Formats: sequence, structure tokens, C-alpha cells
Amino acid sequence: MRSDLIQLKALVLKEYKEAFRDKRALMVALMFAFMAPIMIMVGSKIAIEKMVEQPPVYIKFTGAEYAPNLISHLADKNLLAFADTPTADKVIWDDRNLILNIPEDYARNMAQGKPIKVYLKADFNDKAAQTPIRRINNAVREFSLSIGYKRLQLRGVDVRLLNPVRLVEQDTAKPDATFIMISMTLGLYLMMAAFMSGLSVAIDSSAGERERNVLEMLLCQPVSTLKIVLAKLLGAATISVIGVVLVLILTSVSVSFIDLTKIGATFSLGVSTTIVLILLLLPICFFASAIQLFVAFQTKSFKEAQSTVGMIIGIPAFVPFVLFLMDDRPQWLDWMPIAGQSLIMEDIFKGVEVNWLAMLATSTVTIALTATLVFAVAKKLKSEKVVMALS
Amino acid sequence: MIEVNNLHKKFIDKKDKKNTVKALDGLSFTAKDGEITGMLGPNGAGKTTCLRTLYGLLSADEGDVTVDGIKVAENPIAARAKLGIFPDKFGLYERLTAYEQIDYFASIHGMTGASKKQAIEQVLKDLDMQELAHRKTVGFSQGQRMKVTLAQSLVHQPQNFVLDEPTRGLDVMSTRVLRNHLAKFKAKGHCILFSSHVMQEVAALCDRVIIVANGKLAAQGTPQELCDLAGEEHLEDAFVKLIGSDEGVAA
Repeated sequence: MRSDLIQLKALVLKEYKEAFRDKRALMVALMFAFMAPIMIMVGSKIAIEKMVEQPPVYIKFTGAEYAPNLISHLADKNLLAFADTPTADKVIWDDRNLILNIPEDYARNMAQGKPIKVYLKADFNDKAAQTPIRRINNAVREFSLSIGYKRLQLRGVDVRLLNPVRLVEQDTAKPDATFIMISMTLGLYLMMAAFMSGLSVAIDSSAGERERNVLEMLLCQPVSTLKIVLAKLLGAATISVIGVVLVLILTSVSVSFIDLTKIGATFSLGVSTTIVLILLLLPICFFASAIQLFVAFQTKSFKEAQSTVGMIIGIPAFVPFVLFLMDDRPQWLDWMPIAGQSLIMEDIFKGVEVNWLAMLATSTVTIALTATLVFAVAKKLKSEKVVMALS
Repeated sequence: MIEVNNLHKKFIDKKDKKNTVKALDGLSFTAKDGEITGMLGPNGAGKTTCLRTLYGLLSADEGDVTVDGIKVAENPIAARAKLGIFPDKFGLYERLTAYEQIDYFASIHGMTGASKKQAIEQVLKDLDMQELAHRKTVGFSQGQRMKVTLAQSLVHQPQNFVLDEPTRGLDVMSTRVLRNHLAKFKAKGHCILFSSHVMQEVAALCDRVIIVANGKLAAQGTPQELCDLAGEEHLEDAFVKLIGSDEGVAA
């Protein structure tokens, strides 16, 4: 028992030394962890700008000269005349072709208090035109209401009579849930980080060692293949865990630089949430490394291992996507690795109470599958086929 | 002591049953303690297959190998604990220093603490490689690599020491270091088995020579006995003559 521990310690220590000394591979592996928060930050910045700012809209007016007040009201709302379009955007707005038609008798009808029809011509199915159309609609209605209120006030009528019923909206969504985008992206990134960070270490310590002729030497030593595989798994999974933790920390830090309150959202990863997330992803890190080792030992060369294992990266991105598209997913899917964790992460980010039973179930299944993979690799390393592939 | 009894090993091509290679065909020999046993054989004679069976990497179709009385097929880990192996192809962990590498193999053999440290220092001194010890092994010359591999296979002072063509690519100085070391081990009563293609080396070093051809023992004896047996003056000529005969002269 004691000598078992000595062996295992030596094996693990060596894997760590090799993993952490390969600086370049390590940097590439953890690059992802650094990139994720940056991408989340840039993405949400753009989203906020879209939601908060009112970019200029250029409208082709006809008969603008009949309604200078309306035009200046629209201009206040950043709804401008097509003639003012910067040359760079001319083609876009010409293509969107928003036409506001002000009739000739506008001024006369306004003076007489008669209803006026202003025509907005546009492609109402064009997605890009929808926001400008909504804004033009609101601006014209506002302008119309303000004139209407003034007319009533002049006649001594209480304006409030116009609004007998008013709808007050009370948002029950938790503040954490309002900014779903960050959370969803973060979930995907965390899953990817678990799969990507340990990748190079897993390939290097399996197919790489075989190619460098050190595996044979190790297999001739008085040590069980199970210990060898466990040490390699621990080495790769540790880097993977570091990747996940880095994504979490860096995202927390970088998101704090964005003013989410502008869009009425908050996003913070509390200590307890972070711990739950790490606990949830810990089995996934081991699972990912175990698959990578399994596949890498299956291949014939280092190159083949790199390309084949590279394909495994697709899994974590693929699974949540499929889940998203499935309306009636079977119950067992909730327990599967990756799928189960994705669903629980979704709940965590939505602010829903974590289903601990589901978490326990999916973790158990993930760990069991990881163990199966480890035993399979250990058994394979004992087979003659692997030995024959050495030379 | 290493005993090889009646080893048979076939490699069967699954797709083409006719394409079966008979690597070992009833090979038997004994390498005794306190002796250097040389294994000679042409390429493809089954030397590496025999040694891999001895390490427990391959399992024989028939027959068995025992190391100090332990059957390799039954208890490979216990048998390997009695072995020091200098393999056919050796690589180094290039991100570790020579010392760390030797330390790694010492720990795998269950050594710890002060005794481990002492053993490592001793082997470094014996092989005259203290200067190399704390350098990373990337960029080591062939001779330096050989020394590291030798050190890592000897650090636990194995009773049995198996070397697969150890002098490949070594210069005279390194070969001498190796030869001296083997002589010292022999004097201490260890069992040494090594395969080689270099006749002079085998003639100079070995107490007994076994000649393997076509997976069988073709002849065995002291270098002088083999020469007498073949009626030749040089071991090289004797070797060619002995493996050339279909039956084997003294099998």
C-alpha cells in the first residue's frame, strides 16, 4: 500500500513537471481561458450599445417643408433626412428606403384642427428596418399626443381624462436572468474550456510519449498500467480545471468593467455560485481528459491523435445546441455528461434553485463513465497490440 | 537468474492467416547470476521478441520465463521489480533533468527518502555524470542519453540486468564506461543478459554466449567453445557458420 502511494506520487509529480514545463503548449491551452472573457466583454458591450443608444436613422422625406415642427421633433429623436446621410452609409439607407410622405395641406389642416395623414412607406418585413420603423412610429405618436394635450389644455380639459386605464408593468424576472446572453455564452465557454485546456497535455502524455519511445520504458517497470493512466489523467485534468477556474475568474473581473445597469441588468458570480459551478464542472474536466487519453492511445501516431482528438472539441459546443433545439427531450438525457451539466448551468444562470439531485445524478454518471474509460485504457496498455505499435 | 523455457510465439495477421510470423520457436536458455550472458542473433532472429516476453510486455503462446524463480506471465510486476531494463529503443523525458529522471524511476521501484537520494548519488558517481545531473535532457548526445538510461535502469540495483543492444551509436569512451560497469555488476554477483551485434564486444565481455536463429537456440557456450565447435578462429566466423546450419550444431 505504501509503495503504491510512492509510485503514484512519483508518476503524478512527473506528469505535472512535464505539463507545466511545456510553456508554449500550456500558453496555447490556456489562451482559450483568456480569450473567453474578452469575447464576452466585447459581445456584451456591442449588445448594450444596440439596446441603449439610438443610432441615426435616415428617412426620405417628401413635403418636409410643410411641417418644420414635425421634422425638428424627429431630428431630436435622431431621425434625420436622407440628404444628411454620410456617404459611407448612403447605399444602406437608400436600400432600406424609408419614405415619409407629408401632405401638401398639412399646415392648413393643422391650423383647422383636422386629422392629418402622414404616410410611412417601407418594407415592413425587412428586419433591419423594423427598429427604425418602430422609432418613427413612436416619435410621430409622441409629437401628435403633445399637440393634442396642448389643445385640450387650452380648452381647459384635464389631460388625465385621456388615460382612464393605465398598465403598470412589474418585471418579476430576477435581475440575474435579464442578461441571459452573458450567462449562456459563459456556460458554453466553461464547457469548452474543460475540453480544450487539458487537450495538449493529454495528447502529449499519451501519443507523444509513445512517439518519443518513453512509453515502452515505462511499461517495462514494475507498476500497474492503471496507475500510469491515473497519473496521466490527473495531469491533464488539472490543467483543464485551471482553464475552467481561469474563465470564471477572468469573466467575473472583466464583466465588472461593463456598465450593465444601463440596460437594467446585473451579472455577478457570487462565491457560492462559483463554487457550485466548479464542483459541477470538476467531473467534466476528468471526463474530457479521459476521453482524450482514450482516443489518443487508440491512434497510431501523434499526428493522428492531434487531428482525431481535435474533433472531440466539437462535442461540448454541439450538445447544448441540440438540447436547445429539442422540445421534448428524454429524461435520461438530463443525467448524461455534458447535457446534464449544461442544463444545470442554465438553471444556475437563470437564478433557479439548483436541483441537487440532478447534479448528483449527472456527476455520478460522468464519474462512472470516466472510470470506465480509465479502466479501458489501462487494459489496452496491457495488450500486445499496443506493444507491437511501439516499434 | 533468468530462465527461458521452451518459448513459442507466433504473430498472426488477422486478415491473412498465411502471413503468420513465427518469431520464437521453442527457445530455451539460462542466464546465471555472476555471469554476463550475451545473446547473439541475426536481425529478425527473435531477440527483441524474447526480451519483450521477458519484460512481460508480450505473452508467450507456449513455455515461460522466470526471473529469480518468479514466472513473468503470472506476476509481471513482481518479476519486473527484479529487473533493470535497458530497452531496444529508449527515449528521455526531455522536459526533466537527468536527476529527476533517475529519481522518477527510483521512485517507481519504491525507493524513498535518504536511501533513494544516496542510491541516485551513487549511480551518478559510478557513471561519472554528476555534471549532467541537473541539466534538462533535451539536446543530450547519444552517449549522454545512454548514461541517463543506464542510470535509471540501475539505480535500484537490480539483481538481473537486461540490455538490448546497448552499444549502438556509442563512442569508445562511452562503451568503456558501460563495459566497466557491467564487469562491476558481474563481480557483485548480478545476472546480466545482453544482446548485441558487435562480436568483439561479446567476445571480450561475455562469459557465455547464446546464439539465436529462427526463434531457436542455435548454439551456446563460452566464446572459445563456440569457436571450437564451429572450427573457426574468430567468433564472427563461428557465428555465421553456426546460424547458417539448418539444424543448429548444439541445440
